[in-house]
Amino acid sequence: MSEAETTASPTGRFRASSVGTSHAISIFAGIVFWGWLTTRWLNDWVLARLGIGPGAGENFVPREPFDAAAGSAIEAAERFSIGGLPFEWLNSLLETAGVAVLGWLGALLDTAGVAVGIAPALAGAAWYTILLTVISIALGFSIAVPLAVIRVYGGPLKWPALAYTELIRGTPLIAQLFVLYYGLPLAVWLQDTTLIGYGTIPEQAFWIAIIGFTINGSAYQAEYIRGALESVDEGQLTAARALGLSQIDGIRYVVLPQTLRYAIPAWTNELVYLLKYSSLAGFITVPELYNVASDIANSTFEFTAIFGLLAVVYLGLVLTATNIMSRVESYVAIPGIGAVEGRQQGDS
Amino acid sequence: MDPAAFLSTVSWVAAGELSPLLVESIWSMLGEDWQFVLRNADYLLGGVVITIVLTITSILLGILLGFPAGAIEVYGSGYSKAAVRNLGILFRGTPILVIMLYMFFVMPIEYLLGPLNTLIGGIDLLLGPTPFTAPEEIGGAFFAATLALGLRSAAYQSQIFRGALSSIDDGQMEAARSIGMSRLVALRYVIVPQALRRSVPGFQNEFTIVLKDTSIAFAIGLGELLKRSDDLFIQQTTAILEIMLFASLIYFVLTFSTNRTLDFVDNRFAIPGESS
Amino acid sequence: MTDSQIDRSSRTDRGTDAEPSPLLRIEDLRKSYGDEEVLRGVDLEIERGDVEVLVGPSGSGKSTLLRCVNRLTEVDGGHIYLGDVDVCAPDTDPNEIRQQIGMVFQDINLFAHLTARENVMLGLRRVKGMDKEPALERAEEELDRVGLGDQVDSYPAQLSGGQKQRVGIARALAMDPELMLFDEPTSALDPELSNGVLDVMSKLVADGMTMLVVTHEMRFARGGATGITFLDKGEVVERGPPEQLFENPEKERTAEFFQSISHE
Repeated sequence: MSEAETTASPTGRFRASSVGTSHAISIFAGIVFWGWLTTRWLNDWVLARLGIGPGAGENFVPREPFDAAAGSAIEAAERFSIGGLPFEWLNSLLETAGVAVLGWLGALLDTAGVAVGIAPALAGAAWYTILLTVISIALGFSIAVPLAVIRVYGGPLKWPALAYTELIRGTPLIAQLFVLYYGLPLAVWLQDTTLIGYGTIPEQAFWIAIIGFTINGSAYQAEYIRGALESVDEGQLTAARALGLSQIDGIRYVVLPQTLRYAIPAWTNELVYLLKYSSLAGFITVPELYNVASDIANSTFEFTAIFGLLAVVYLGLVLTATNIMSRVESYVAIPGIGAVEGRQQGDS
Repeated sequence: MDPAAFLSTVSWVAAGELSPLLVESIWSMLGEDWQFVLRNADYLLGGVVITIVLTITSILLGILLGFPAGAIEVYGSGYSKAAVRNLGILFRGTPILVIMLYMFFVMPIEYLLGPLNTLIGGIDLLLGPTPFTAPEEIGGAFFAATLALGLRSAAYQSQIFRGALSSIDDGQMEAARSIGMSRLVALRYVIVPQALRRSVPGFQNEFTIVLKDTSIAFAIGLGELLKRSDDLFIQQTTAILEIMLFASLIYFVLTFSTNRTLDFVDNRFAIPGESS
Repeated sequence: MTDSQIDRSSRTDRGTDAEPSPLLRIEDLRKSYGDEEVLRGVDLEIERGDVEVLVGPSGSGKSTLLRCVNRLTEVDGGHIYLGDVDVCAPDTDPNEIRQQIGMVFQDINLFAHLTARENVMLGLRRVKGMDKEPALERAEEELDRVGLGDQVDSYPAQLSGGQKQRVGIARALAMDPELMLFDEPTSALDPELSNGVLDVMSKLVADGMTMLVVTHEMRFARGGATGITFLDKGEVVERGPPEQLFENPEKERTAEFFQSISHE
């Protein structure tokens, strides 16, 4: 083997120098984001019942000061003028600059006002989004692993499994949700169950969404767990069986542990995917982030601010998820075991 | 005659000619709801045309922006690289629904749309004497949907292309430079041709995703397949299951045929001897 | 390949050569990777028509040295002259230099998406600007010279390791270089496949090509080299004709090294 010499990769150097500040910023942002969410949840569910604090759904910070400040900034922008400077062009230049700055400041304060106003509602909705995602992906995973094993080792059972995955992956998620919610009498059945909708347990629409996401997620997860299964060398199972392990035990103790590590990047993509597509549950009346934000926007018409903030919240959730998963990946990493692509390639 | 009506006419004529009695008996076996769906099939197929056109325009926008972005992420430096990375994270981290609503309700797309429609009008004039026609004008919803799907697709395609570029062995660039090629020439004739071929599987995946996500455009009122299914649902709510199943079947046929076509393309352009 | 001497009788005798200055002159070459100094002041001179073989343990800097000569790696100190041109000068165009220096890699590095013929043609068309027809003819000529005239349409993945390396040699030769660099060309190949490559290299020696070869193939070194340089830890330990280094090395380290290889 010859001496391994390559010029040092320039991207490596770049990444090293920028990691310091961007790392600090993202940690700070993360703390702010999750700090807000957890305080809000704590307030709404625990403190409010105990009578402490402003009460469930009420703002921590009142909105009025922001609106007032925004108002005065915009007024000042309209009345802004500079006189008395020797040159006319200098006057108008400074005037335009001043108007622009004040106008921008006004818009910023206005957005802040909107943010403060809708924050409680968004936090509550974020809880639904997170719950929806986490439960669906966990359930989907428990279906996907056996499904993938059947696809690879299952003999004649391969074909129904294949049909299932192809059909689910070949049709839009939203159509599947519609079929489940409007098309099948699931909604009625669930509603009749006394537990659903009682107290803190969410409405039936939520559970139908869970079913829909679980089924959809299971098909995709099965696909790349299958890919990961196939990348594990055949010799591994052969060696296991040579020791006397049965096929099932061989799969369970030798093949799957390696498979699951291969599948982590793909699985992270699935998590992010579900986080984003949970927005579709809004169409079957689940009060998750998109639904809540859209309702507010349709009554106040502050589309820009609201959708902008909505995007920020989703980004916060997505980036947190990818962060956690890359830590998990490092934690369980075994040298020499690589990766499989997931639903969509990419880092987020 | 528009394609949707043509398709359904042909299928009905064929069915009628082949066996009138058979058709009669099948027709009466289907419930009222299925009859409703099949009667309105041409309306739905019109939606399919929009779905397909939307997919193609979005994918094209995605390629146009995504591939250069991927190259910048691998070979660029400084601000351009950071800008591409951050825009990518933004578009990959926000739900497509939110992006679409943003494009429709918030972005001042009229500024782009106006000139674009004038351009279309111009093309229509040029094409006047020929049997081809350009679409009369591009609706706001269609434009917003294309922008949304296209930009998001570009963000993902940049990752696909980036991965493919990075997977090319360093030795290829070395060998190219050793015979006197500049980096740019080497990229053009040695690296990119190989990277394009390696991008096909990821591209296949992306195409399917965009195809299915056109359904989200129903939220901004675009008359693609899902929206039209919804319209029918409003007309006859009992038929919802049949409508949705029919629409899902159409989607499945579309994704299936697209995947097989791209498989064919993959095999045709694959480098002989190399397994994917 | 036989152990016997490669026929060098057809080569131009250096004594009657009108050009007295060396083709390649390396002076006090230094290169570090981070804290690690890989080349510590290497001096080397090669006349036109020489076949210089570089030997040494791994990590001694042989490959780095080669890559500095065609400036694939930038040097940290010292000079490299190809004829009169300072290779490392900032105003020297590396692409121009590389057209005069051919390189053959241990990893072969054939362009995977092109046939053998197209691999050889690429440099001719896109660097030298040749038209398609003449480039095609020249490519087929070169492939013929290395014995692959019947494989011109094959893709790299369809060729054996030895065949691929021979295409690699043809690709480098097609550029009409003054100097050929070989970076362990057979190390990645099975012994049987190496022979084809070594045969081609021996032919090149007989044709009078100036070559700088890094290799572990001692039979080639014994038979074809005009000089052997032993490099260890980035320094030239000993340099001289093959007979000297193999039979009668001046330095102890040299002797130790050759002893350790002969046990392989």
